[in-house]
Amino acid sequence: MAEAPKSRWIAATRHAVLMLFVLISVYPVINVFSVSLRPGNRLRSTDLAVIPADWTLDSYQKLFTEQPFLQWLGNSLLVSLAVTVLGVGLAATGGYALSRYRFVGRKASMLAILTTQMFPATMLLLPLYVMIAYLHLVNTFLGLLIFYTATALPFCLWQMKGFYDTIPISLEEAARMDGCSRWQTFVRVSLPLAVPGLVITALFSFMTAWSEYIVAAQVLQERDMFTLPLGLKSFQASMSTEWGLYAAASILVSIPVVIVFMLLSRYLVSGLNMGGVKE
Amino acid sequence: MNRSSSVLLVCLACGVIAVIGLGATGCSNWSTASRSGQQVITLWHQMTVGERKVLDQEVARFHASQSQIRVNTLYKETEELRSGFQAAALAGTGPELIFGPSDSLGAFVTMGVVQDMSPWFDQSRVAEFIPQGLTFLASPTEPERPVLVQIGDRVGNHLALVYNRDLISSPPATTDELVTLAVKTTIDRDHDGKTDQYGLVWNFVEPFFAVPFITGYGGWVFDESGDPVPALDSPACIAALEFLVSLQTEHHVLPANCDYETADALFKSGSAAMIINGDWSWGDYLSNPQMNVAIAPLPIVSATGKPMGPMVATKGYSLNVHARAEESAAAMEFVDFMTSAETQRNFMAKLKTLPSRKSLLDDPLLKEDPTLMASALQMNNGRAMPVVAELRAIWDSMRPHYQALLAGNVTPAEAARLMQADAVSTIARLNQDIQPNSTGLILKLVALILTVTLLWFQRGAWGQLAHDWNQNRLAYLLIAPSLAVIVLTIVYPFFYNVVLSFSNMSLRNFQNWQVTGWQNYQQIFTEQKFFVVLLKTVVWTVVCVFLHVVIGLLLAVALNAPLRGKSIYRVLLILPWAIPAYITALTWRGMFDYEYGAVNLIANQFFGLPPINWLSDATNAFIACIITNVWLGFPFMMVIALGGMQGIPRELYEAAKMDRVPRWKQFWYITLPMLKPVLLPAVTLGTIWTFNNLNVIWLVSNSGEPSDKTHILVSYVYKAVFNLYQYGYGAALSMVIFVLLLLFSLLFMWRTKATEGIH
Repeated sequence: MAEAPKSRWIAATRHAVLMLFVLISVYPVINVFSVSLRPGNRLRSTDLAVIPADWTLDSYQKLFTEQPFLQWLGNSLLVSLAVTVLGVGLAATGGYALSRYRFVGRKASMLAILTTQMFPATMLLLPLYVMIAYLHLVNTFLGLLIFYTATALPFCLWQMKGFYDTIPISLEEAARMDGCSRWQTFVRVSLPLAVPGLVITALFSFMTAWSEYIVAAQVLQERDMFTLPLGLKSFQASMSTEWGLYAAASILVSIPVVIVFMLLSRYLVSGLNMGGVKE
Repeated sequence: MNRSSSVLLVCLACGVIAVIGLGATGCSNWSTASRSGQQVITLWHQMTVGERKVLDQEVARFHASQSQIRVNTLYKETEELRSGFQAAALAGTGPELIFGPSDSLGAFVTMGVVQDMSPWFDQSRVAEFIPQGLTFLASPTEPERPVLVQIGDRVGNHLALVYNRDLISSPPATTDELVTLAVKTTIDRDHDGKTDQYGLVWNFVEPFFAVPFITGYGGWVFDESGDPVPALDSPACIAALEFLVSLQTEHHVLPANCDYETADALFKSGSAAMIINGDWSWGDYLSNPQMNVAIAPLPIVSATGKPMGPMVATKGYSLNVHARAEESAAAMEFVDFMTSAETQRNFMAKLKTLPSRKSLLDDPLLKEDPTLMASALQMNNGRAMPVVAELRAIWDSMRPHYQALLAGNVTPAEAARLMQADAVSTIARLNQDIQPNSTGLILKLVALILTVTLLWFQRGAWGQLAHDWNQNRLAYLLIAPSLAVIVLTIVYPFFYNVVLSFSNMSLRNFQNWQVTGWQNYQQIFTEQKFFVVLLKTVVWTVVCVFLHVVIGLLLAVALNAPLRGKSIYRVLLILPWAIPAYITALTWRGMFDYEYGAVNLIANQFFGLPPINWLSDATNAFIACIITNVWLGFPFMMVIALGGMQGIPRELYEAAKMDRVPRWKQFWYITLPMLKPVLLPAVTLGTIWTFNNLNVIWLVSNSGEPSDKTHILVSYVYKAVFNLYQYGYGAALSMVIFVLLLLFSLLFMWRTKATEGIH
């Protein structure tokens, strides 16, 4: 009897909390959007209106006509998708080994993977550049692919390992009893159950490559090879940034991420409960 | 083979194809790759978007004028150009040419990364340029022989007075008139005690903007000895700072705090009658159809009768020391073209830059343009920017005290004294020349012994590995590719850093650095500042990660139910993660603005709270950084928690419901433990990332403002390395960071058993 009002009250609380945070999430983004509509290069305005009275789409138009924006977009998509594919592939397999096998050097490997993240990136730039130059990776996307994958992998491996850990081992034992090889067990039983993990790994790999610019600035040496963040940074000069272009490009840059997330989030609701697996 | 198996194989295959395919694209290794016998040269420049248009036109004209040389231009932001050029020099490569202001040249010459251009520049041509146009410096190896390190194509980069003609009819000639005019144009329209229009604004952050006041009172940043000895504690300097403060506290014509963007916004919106700004900004104001603006030279200081003189810098081309003979020749041909009278005239016509060639000074184009004339007049009052590496130390020492002065936290005399003291110690540090001592030899020995012992004790491991290989072959095959990628990218930088941390690599020993011993570590642990910053970093990390996880979990719980509009919520909530952080962080900085920022306005309008001085108070600025970082990071934790919750069997909750277990207990005893394997890696890595998060601090607090009090360890390292060229010290500090994080991870993994499964 008391159940119905109670659950309605809970739903209302859910909506209230979510709406509050949506507001907090969206407000600064609207601010960026507003900058992109302002004429005359104004980052700050004493006016709080979202759409300024003298709004214009000039910045967006300039982006497509005067800047090689589409070229940058293509480059970024190419690199990010390659990193996503490689990152997910390596993490899906490597994470499984870390979760299910107790091999020599397992713990050492897990720690070694983490150590890559422990150096301040700024100090790595110098040796990184020297290395890129020696490996003849200057101005190649391959250079970016290797470094971005290496940057994204530690998290992805650990994350996938965590997801495999949540899958009951009894399921695999059952499959082995039924005559599956270890590889078959992995591919047919564990992998499908770890789909939410794969989604997060994919999203993370994509984001790592999509928004990185420090390494990209070291590697890429031609304007036509730029990725989006580099192109975006090229609107920024100390004390004379093109805020309109910068903001417009930022809004456009985030659209593919939102699309990727929308496509992937369908699979975020999957795994054990969808598979109807009972222990 | 079933579906997911084929998906995985396709993934791996695509990866391999991508590696091969991407390797094949654009294998042009720097500029040496020449297509059909052409010489390709690369130019790194610092031109703004507007300037780049003219640059492109001129490069096209150069290409049309000859067919042998092709120029590839690439924009690099000031710091990027500097650090990138230095890194390239270490690898023995880099662009043939760089273009920019003469700021960094002093350091470049000391490091030996730029080449003498005089072999390509006939002595007779020197007379064609005004004296500031060409930069000759003493060679670091032969001090008597001057080397030509920059050929300028424009001079300027100077400040002048820009005024709104709708508010001011004629510009002030003296500072007394300036004050009178400013008082008259400072208006509180609605008499609410809040000023609506200011008489005068400028950038309160960069001490570059204080220089005209100092010169107007007869002072200068260095003394007159000719050596770079700071002279910031002079009576003239104190008088100038007193005048600055009087504008704020006595005449009330300045805003309470004002960075570059705020000053710009105030002036553009008509809320400031006058602004002091540089020649790079004038075009924007003059071309604004809604404004009626003019440029005037800065006034004469009434107390001394001297004009306020800004710093004047030359911009021009420098040649990389690693450019080979034929590349240098081609590059110099391009430089000749770009510094020719015709090209300079084109730049002058389109961008109102002042030329470096004498012949152009009488050009009608210049004589008949009021802006160019005002600019030329102002430049004649100016003083050339000293081309020495020490200038950077001057800015670094002035900045915090200049900021504190205008925030009302320090008296002019005290500020001048602190500026001078800091400048002396910073310059000493910049020129530090560590000599190898006995510890260097000991270290090498210890390293050798350590390696040998390790190998000796690990010899058994190889046998074990060989044995284990037979049992866990699949595991090794699965993990090997990942480890290979990681090892490939980390091993070299890691050992490079270890060696560097024991070395004396710095401004004085850049290309000829050597291992000297543990002096860098000694320096770190004897400074109190290190421990203060460390404490701040720990607070920063703990607060940020805690809030990331709590908010992320809260939202994931709220979302994890059949809910109307769920997918819309989900997408909107990841926006902070989706939009590039470098613009949202700057937006947040704008939102924390004292007068116009949304945070204060909302707090005031909805909750009636008094405005908070977010950015010029050290604690508040730190809180502002934390708020921004929490905003940036919670969506990531939310997505992970949401993903993890899908793995929790529903039966557990159903059983709990049957037993009438309250919801919070379900969360505590079912959700949290089941999330542990998924959440732990995120928390471990989140901690490491937050600890090493440079961006937010750098952008929100504008590199450590106010007064370098918001630093965390990484931003502290960054400043040491990039402002003072202390590569050895920076490497040692990052080794310390590395060890701290390693210890944390070990402890955390051991306490939470994060490497183990839950089953």
